[in-house]
Amino acid sequence: MDEEILSGVRVLDFTRVLAGPYATRILADFGAEVIKIQSKKTAGGAESNRTGYFNTFNRNKRSITLDMNYPEAREVALRLAAISDVVMENFSPRVMSNWGLNYEKLTEVRPDLIMVSMSGMGQTGPWRDFVALGPTIQALSGLTYLTSFKEDSPLGLGYSYADTVVGLYAALAVLAALEYRDRIGVGLYVDLSEYEAACTLMGPTFLDILANHKDVLPQGNQSDYMPAAPYGCYGCSGKDRWCVIAVFNEAEWQALCTVMGSPAWSREKRFSTLSQRKIHAGELDELLGQWTGKHRAEELVCLLQEAGVPAGVVQSAEDLAGDPHLKSRDYFVQLEHPMLGKTISDASPIQFSDTTRADWKAAPSLGEDNQYVYMELLGLRESELSSYLERGIVG
Amino acid sequence: MSVPAENDSLLRDIRILDLADEKASFCSRLLADMGARVIKVEKPGGDSSRSIGPFLRNSPHPERSLFFYHNNTNKLGITLNLENSIGREIFCTLLKGTDVVVETFPPGYLKNLGLGFEALCEINPRLILVSVTGFGQNGPRMNHKSCDLVASAMSGQMYVSGSPSTPPLKPFGEQSYYTASLFAAVGILLALRKRNRSGKGEHIDISLQEAATSTLEHVMIRYFYDHIIPKRQGRVYWNNAFYIAPCKDGFILVTLLHQWETLVEWMDSEGMADDLTEETWNDEQYRLQRRDHVIEVLNRWTKTHTTGELFEMGQLMGFPWAPICSAQEVVESPQLRARGLFRTTDHPEIGTSLTYPGLPYKFNAPVTKQVGRAPLIGEHNVQVLQRELGLSRREIRRLSSIGAI
Repeated sequence: MDEEILSGVRVLDFTRVLAGPYATRILADFGAEVIKIQSKKTAGGAESNRTGYFNTFNRNKRSITLDMNYPEAREVALRLAAISDVVMENFSPRVMSNWGLNYEKLTEVRPDLIMVSMSGMGQTGPWRDFVALGPTIQALSGLTYLTSFKEDSPLGLGYSYADTVVGLYAALAVLAALEYRDRIGVGLYVDLSEYEAACTLMGPTFLDILANHKDVLPQGNQSDYMPAAPYGCYGCSGKDRWCVIAVFNEAEWQALCTVMGSPAWSREKRFSTLSQRKIHAGELDELLGQWTGKHRAEELVCLLQEAGVPAGVVQSAEDLAGDPHLKSRDYFVQLEHPMLGKTISDASPIQFSDTTRADWKAAPSLGEDNQYVYMELLGLRESELSSYLERGIVG
Repeated sequence: MSVPAENDSLLRDIRILDLADEKASFCSRLLADMGARVIKVEKPGGDSSRSIGPFLRNSPHPERSLFFYHNNTNKLGITLNLENSIGREIFCTLLKGTDVVVETFPPGYLKNLGLGFEALCEINPRLILVSVTGFGQNGPRMNHKSCDLVASAMSGQMYVSGSPSTPPLKPFGEQSYYTASLFAAVGILLALRKRNRSGKGEHIDISLQEAATSTLEHVMIRYFYDHIIPKRQGRVYWNNAFYIAPCKDGFILVTLLHQWETLVEWMDSEGMADDLTEETWNDEQYRLQRRDHVIEVLNRWTKTHTTGELFEMGQLMGFPWAPICSAQEVVESPQLRARGLFRTTDHPEIGTSLTYPGLPYKFNAPVTKQVGRAPLIGEHNVQVLQRELGLSRREIRRLSSIGAI
């Protein structure tokens, strides 16, 4: 079976928690052989093989144990790198070097190796050793500050958004480097900064500040730059139910008015054009909210979309799990896990015309693939592996 | 270490026709920065995303949209009317040497013009078509209208962002467009690799809703495994790991559970630890049950410091803390400056130069491109049509006069 897109690509995966594992999950989903290096000592929290978190971000991968505190373990890692196409890691900058596993050393045993280092700040610069998790990166990039209603009350996103984005950049870098290696025959080293990746998500904000010499302040769900009004989130009937409505042009405005039953206020001069509506957005939101508050979010969105108005329900996790549209597109995938039973996770939003997930499997248990990797791939004798196991090197 | 001698970009041989509007123009920008040859194909008069601000010198104009600038660096630009038969003919001729088409039209639009995936494959069987739309190419909501606000709501991003006392909050900017573009770019490179083996093209279907849902981290996991519906929690992070605390001069993201004893020792050395020095507080569960008290003591202490002091000292002790930076503070970051993230790009067409953030990755060889400015409307009509199609200047003038380009 050599049919998947990344069949034949072997990835040695030192990454932990989310950004790195998300990157290697993308590669594993499309057929790469991802060998995740774990150890008993570090397999806790998000790296505990028995959690839903681990299972979600490590499906389709293999797991081996190797305690990198032992010098012998580093020799084994070097031998593994020699039979790999890609090495990925998200430690602090000094870790791989301290183990004698920096790119220079690795290319001595595998000259065309591709290696991606993902660290919070990048491998250079005065902050290179700073510790950062997803929320740290979101705070530093301006995303938290601007995702707020007021400047004196920062809120930010309710989850580690930056990690997924960093994972996507890392996967993109690996795939581009593979394309390059296949054409030129040369491997590449990539220094990916999570901080800088988050900065690319700020769109034209930095251009705006630097070119126009102005402050950019948080605006909640509004945006001065969006040529739309109404444009916002409105309360609906029921507990914590909301919808969003965005009106970009005259046809959409007329359609919205018709769905509302053409109330008298909708014909007032202050709402007659897009620019008038933008000027009076506050009053418009107030009036619109009085109308939406009387209806169920799902019903409103249905009516509005039928009339051609961009609108959506503010969906919760429960709504998403039961979303008939996502269901019809097989967005969620069910995989059997030996301990967790039937598990559900997001498949991949990259839908090919002939995607099959026939070979997909849940995340591995700790060291599940020790025998396969150390004996079949690396050619260790059974006695050698037992000795490594006894001494805790494979452990 | 082996480093290639010649200057050769990652995606040198790849040609992309970019028909995308604001929803996915960032996709081919990502690939253009890696050296792909991207031709932006706009309708005569320019793409609709040129009407999105901010604008240079705050004056709205289709050639001054900084939003457009940001998403279209390193591309060539032509205009082509796909609703005109001659425009379509030119498009089909361009397809022959093209590897990838990125489009964001409503599902069925291209098919109605005779340019559906099957028709395009007849012209170029190796073509990779990427469609980025609000809800994808099939399913009950395929024809629903979308934008970043709708995608953010429908994807679950908004429900968990904000505070219990505020409405749901949309992440700043156009995040669903950026994540959809990243997924699309990864999809393109996967499809190119697949094509190397099969010789055949591919139609990739990306939905803004699904792209944004895919970033939700803990949200769906807690629902599927623990039957919890995550809600908005304001300044406290969902798992209590982080909290946004007030300082003298702004706010700082601090940890509530990490290296607890070190934190208490630090606060105590300044006489600000209150009763937290008592041993009972070492128990994490005990602390979580009395979270409000921990936050109260912490607030009193953080308010005596600047964000800079706490950031510097905290990082020295291994705390993953950071100030809540405004965008102005980001452009002044010493780390980003040392890494050269912000680079100046010439804009001779407007007699100035502008500073752009570059790529978030550094390769050990010159395989990526510096930021080159976005094209003007139809700027490369003559260059592309002459070079790629061998048309004469006179022929190009004729096409222009009948509204094909």
